[in-house]
Amino acid sequence: MSMNTWRKAGTEAKLLLIGIPLFIWTMLPIYHLCLFAFSSKDEAMGGRMWPEHPTLHNFEVVFREQHHYLNHFWLQMWNSLFIAVTVGLLTLVVATAAAFAISRLKVRGGRTVMNLALFTYFIPAAFLAVPMYKTMGVYGLLNNQWALILAMTTIAAPYSIWVLKQASDKLPWELDEAAKMDGASPLQLFRLVYLPLMTPSLVAIGTYALLLAWNEYLYAFLLLSNDRDVTLGVALGNFLAADDSPWELLMTTGLIYALPPAAIYYTFKRYMVGGLTAGAVKS
Amino acid sequence: MATVSFQNIEKSFGHTKVIQGISFDIREGEFMVLVGPSGCGKSTLLRMLAGLEEITGGFIAIDDKVVNDIESKDRDIAMVFQSYALYPHMTVGENMAFSLKLRRADPAMMAERVAHASKILNLDPYLERFPRELSGGQRQRVAMGRAIVRDPKVFLFDEPLSNLDAKLRVAMRAEIKALHQRLKTTTVYVTHDQVEAMTMADRIVVMHDGRIEQIGAPLELYDHPDNLFVAQFIGSPAMNVMNGKVRRDGGGAHVEVAGGVRWPLVHGPGAEGQAVAYGIRPGDLRLASPDAEGAVAAEIVVVEPTGAETELLIQAGDDQLILVTHGRPKVNPGERIGLTIDPAKVHVFDQGTGARLAA
Amino acid sequence: MATLALPEAQRLPSGPIKKGMSPWQKWGLILLAPYVVVFLVFVLYPVGYGLWLARHPVSYQKLFDDPIFLRSVYNTLAFVIIGINLKMVVALVLSGFFVTARTWIKWLSLLFILPWAVPSIPTILSVRFMLNPEWGLINSLIFRFTGDDGPNWLNDPMLALGIAMLMHIWKSLPFWTLILVAGRLAIPAEHYEAASVDGATNWQKFRFITWPSMRTLYLTCTILSMIWTMGDFNSVYLLTGGGPADLTHVLATLGIRYLRLDEVDMSMAAIVVALPAVLPLVYFMMKRLSK
Repeated sequence: MSMNTWRKAGTEAKLLLIGIPLFIWTMLPIYHLCLFAFSSKDEAMGGRMWPEHPTLHNFEVVFREQHHYLNHFWLQMWNSLFIAVTVGLLTLVVATAAAFAISRLKVRGGRTVMNLALFTYFIPAAFLAVPMYKTMGVYGLLNNQWALILAMTTIAAPYSIWVLKQASDKLPWELDEAAKMDGASPLQLFRLVYLPLMTPSLVAIGTYALLLAWNEYLYAFLLLSNDRDVTLGVALGNFLAADDSPWELLMTTGLIYALPPAAIYYTFKRYMVGGLTAGAVKS
Repeated sequence: MATVSFQNIEKSFGHTKVIQGISFDIREGEFMVLVGPSGCGKSTLLRMLAGLEEITGGFIAIDDKVVNDIESKDRDIAMVFQSYALYPHMTVGENMAFSLKLRRADPAMMAERVAHASKILNLDPYLERFPRELSGGQRQRVAMGRAIVRDPKVFLFDEPLSNLDAKLRVAMRAEIKALHQRLKTTTVYVTHDQVEAMTMADRIVVMHDGRIEQIGAPLELYDHPDNLFVAQFIGSPAMNVMNGKVRRDGGGAHVEVAGGVRWPLVHGPGAEGQAVAYGIRPGDLRLASPDAEGAVAAEIVVVEPTGAETELLIQAGDDQLILVTHGRPKVNPGERIGLTIDPAKVHVFDQGTGARLAA
Repeated sequence: MATLALPEAQRLPSGPIKKGMSPWQKWGLILLAPYVVVFLVFVLYPVGYGLWLARHPVSYQKLFDDPIFLRSVYNTLAFVIIGINLKMVVALVLSGFFVTARTWIKWLSLLFILPWAVPSIPTILSVRFMLNPEWGLINSLIFRFTGDDGPNWLNDPMLALGIAMLMHIWKSLPFWTLILVAGRLAIPAEHYEAASVDGATNWQKFRFITWPSMRTLYLTCTILSMIWTMGDFNSVYLLTGGGPADLTHVLATLGIRYLRLDEVDMSMAAIVVALPAVLPLVYFMMKRLSK
């Protein structure tokens, strides 16, 4: 073989040297999850790499709520969905309005609010968890799903406003002026010109907020305690506490819980990548 | 159609005063051009008329009604922007109909108005297309169509041809002028290009540093510029200007410049010894033999034939001048020639103030 | 030409202090209001309340007397300093990997996002079970290959903390890698082409082209990652619950521990103690990003 071919083979080898371990590293926990989900209890505990008799029985048990830990599976699934979607929508409403006011209407105090939002974004949410828990107690919202919805909206909003503002700033100013001359009121400008042009960013932010809420554990676990009100994630955490838990069912439920966010992310991926990195690489 | 009146208009951005106090009126159906170099305040003035900028001082009135506190949309005006500002997510037809849609107009009326404007501007084949699918010239026409559909009292144009290439600009100039002749709507047009001003305007406002230098019909500004700035801004190639002192002796007068060249003044204005700027347009210089009566001696530096005309770069003493003549004179670089001047075409300005000296 | 009988030209004030607001200003305030309300009710009040709860000096006394707290500080520092730098270096290397044009790399990059996109609970529990000393996958494999029992992973505080760090890296690596990839893509290809012509090696290209361009971004990402890692609750809590014997607590889980012990004031005091470390980093980030 020629020098070039050796060199090319060398490059490929180096790439594979990174790629293969990376693949194993990335997929191992997820593969293990699937392993348990598709194995019977005995097989799962047997420490195998591969299920000899893969079965869908676990899924059946979960879907039919046939174990006392799974009594409220569908209800909890619904809770997760309801909360996630509501957070997505609420964040969109709050953030889009704020971004429009700051970026296009150049509202007074807009920069201050933007900076406050940015500050909130950087502070880790975990720091705010206990105070939020006490505060919700003061507001009388504990064990109410709206506590979680409002808390997650508060957490998702700052980044959303920032991304939307960056995207807004790219729209040419003359469009607003032309609309003004055409006779648009502020609301008409918002509805008929701004929103249609911002659609890709809106999809990215809605997805971001939805995923954030669906995946959340700490706040959900602090703010909700009733079995009928909790999200699927919290239910999984509760599962963990007991010793006699059916681990394979736990993992199956976990897998089911992990699928929607993966699916949603991949569906809206082309909106997400631009949206998420755009803000970060501004130098 | 309406009248527009600017009264003592002032504009400041923070502490910087950009418009110093401007007053003038625009007549009904007039095509008024605001022209001047970048930063002179012409766009700011237009935007104040449009309602896109706050008015710091003074009043603007449309049809005798003060509009300072009236929103853009209630002023019954339409604007064509330099970058067209078409809504990218709407078709051409929707762009044009937008203003009517906002007022919840009757769909039949909307369709009729759009069709009417589309016909005038030859946009019929493009009504269903999106702006990104159109060329620059087509987009500009859509922007105009959007304005026409409004049927406003006043059209405002903010440097609409600046983004087009030279050939297209010439074509669009004629189209806009034809449009104006057809619709007869009062128009305020801003440009930095004096050729556009000269060819399109009924009257021109020449602006500089936030002030009006002169207002008048194009040829009036060309033939009788009030000051040096207007004299050199209007007309292409620019007027030749030589600085010197007036000398009166015996029967006539001339302007003596450094280097000893004497430029004929005959009965021209100016006191003995006054420092003046002597102006003569390239087209008003004539070629003659160096020994001709009253001719100024000069030498040809460069010959630039442009086909129908010839531009000559000429050295007379310490000054370089441009001469433009029809046809193709048989002259060569380095050749000595004489320049003859019609005294009626001489412009004399005070060197300090730039103001024209009265004859 | 009609002349208008206008009053003397008045000087209108250039500020927005006019009689009533324009609809544009009005709507600006109305549309900004929802977020402002959210902020006041759900950020400002809780923060204020939290700080108020942490106002007694005795809370801090209790805190510093608690060996668990001191251990947590140590753990958090180890977590942040080792974990972040390890993660960012790997992210930097991977960013170079992922910009290489191969179809299989593109597919791999799609899978690579999964840890970040899916929720933590299932995946951390999955690892927890993998590490079960009796029937977990890892120890089974170790036994099969060496005949020995593997370690009791989550019962050894050092190992457990290490695994928690790895979990954190597993989850957040994709996000930072993506950002660094974007940073790499912003470097014009011509720079590398010119360097190739000049005979530069890959290492030289990295040192003289890639790194100078990426330096600032790398630093910004590291700082931001440090802030966020201090708040990583899931990695420790879902893996070890803070155990064994409260030895793997970090700052984020400590708050919950004190909450459970009904010592809310200590919970807040722990956060306040962390602020001198966190706030300067936040200030740095604010300077970078707010314009």
